[in-house]
Amino acid sequence: MDAQTSAHCDSQARASGTGVGKEGSAPRGRFRAISAFGICCRGCPAGYLRHVAMFRLQGSKVLAIDMTGDAVKAKNGSMVAYDGQMGFKKLSGGGEGIRGMVTRRITGEQMTLMEVKGHGTCWFADRASEINLVALQGDTLYVESSNLLATDGGLRTGTSFTGLRGASQGNGLFTTTVEGHGQAAIMSDGPAVVLRVSPQFPLTVDPGAYIAHQGNVRQSFQSGVSFRTFMGEGGGEAFQIRFEGDGLVYVQPSERNTIAGDV
Amino acid sequence: MPFREINSKMIEATVMPGQRVFSQRGAMLAYKGEVSFTPNIQGGQGGIMSMIGRRVANEATPLMTVEGSGTVLFGHGGHHIQVISLAGDTLCVEADRLLAFDGTLQQGTMFMGSQGGVMGMVRGQVTGQGLFTTTLKGHGAVAVMAHGGVIEVPITPQRPVHVDPQAYVAHHGDVRNKLSTALGWRDMVGRGSGEAFQLELSGSGAVYVQASEEKL
Repeated sequence: MDAQTSAHCDSQARASGTGVGKEGSAPRGRFRAISAFGICCRGCPAGYLRHVAMFRLQGSKVLAIDMTGDAVKAKNGSMVAYDGQMGFKKLSGGGEGIRGMVTRRITGEQMTLMEVKGHGTCWFADRASEINLVALQGDTLYVESSNLLATDGGLRTGTSFTGLRGASQGNGLFTTTVEGHGQAAIMSDGPAVVLRVSPQFPLTVDPGAYIAHQGNVRQSFQSGVSFRTFMGEGGGEAFQIRFEGDGLVYVQPSERNTIAGDV
Repeated sequence: MPFREINSKMIEATVMPGQRVFSQRGAMLAYKGEVSFTPNIQGGQGGIMSMIGRRVANEATPLMTVEGSGTVLFGHGGHHIQVISLAGDTLCVEADRLLAFDGTLQQGTMFMGSQGGVMGMVRGQVTGQGLFTTTLKGHGAVAVMAHGGVIEVPITPQRPVHVDPQAYVAHHGDVRNKLSTALGWRDMVGRGSGEAFQLELSGSGAVYVQASEEKL
């Protein structure tokens, strides 16, 4: 229950004027909503902040990355401006080698990433989506490929099977995983909330509003379909995803069009 | 400065007798006081010749003159609004992005080819600016619309800035721009990174970039 909101957060996020999770904000319901940018690097290795590319948010819709000769991976065509020297190279098949490329082709979880390398600052944005920074310390982030904006060059990306849940989200049966130590930026339609899942407090979310999750979380699919649904009297919330375990779930204040939303 | 930002999508302009504000026609949301709105057939300042110039250049957005005394709220299409204040320098902006500007500013049209000849014209086509762009010069404030939020990136002589042509909104100051291409064999075989064309701005001033690659 003790959500890690202790405002030891990237000073950069603070500097760029984004709302950092307020300490002691009242718990909403049974879980505490952590501000979208409040995920911090507590417990990360001491040398982490020296780590290469610096991600910071400028406003809530523009991501600025300061680079000193290192590389980041970003969604194809998402650069809006840069200064200094930058090179852009497309990573075929998401940059996971031939095997990853074939896997992506087969699973339909295609993403076109580019590698950005150079010295200076590069700004990224995509169709005015809100951007959330996620710090990874060896754990895995599960995110839909269309919601992934940029990752540190050192993070590994892959694909994983989601089962029925993926189909209900309208995203297909597979999802993208990002793992390693570093930062990633994910996009949401409207500012996302980060909800904590702990063993005592499982969380249920609407498949259309789910964007990503991280940590040691099991997910199951639950349906509230009853005879009312078949009578055309459904509440519009026939399917949900239930998360159990220990981790964080990112939810956007907007719903994608899903089959579940129609019943 | 006559413009005050109410929120990211609305501004409040203070109009006083003897002062004029130009705004895009239909962008008024509410007003207080004795304010009159007169459609401006000429589409701005400078008499008949300027009007013809703007018509020919396809930079003639329907403008209206706001006069009187009171406060007016402006907003349009739910777009984000950025207020840029000019202190004697020139702002280059596309006419349809202009929401409102001070009547004291001098309005003009610039031929893209005047900066870099044929390449300037090519650049205008790529950025969607067309062959002409609107310039505003003098002391005063301009309200510019953009899709998504706007960030201001300063340009210094040592650090030129490269901008995605689709995300470019406006620039001011003593800035030269040229279209730089990073076309490689990868783009030819359809393996491009999506960043083949960039607008390179150098000199001193600032460029405004929107958080989106969408046009208004």
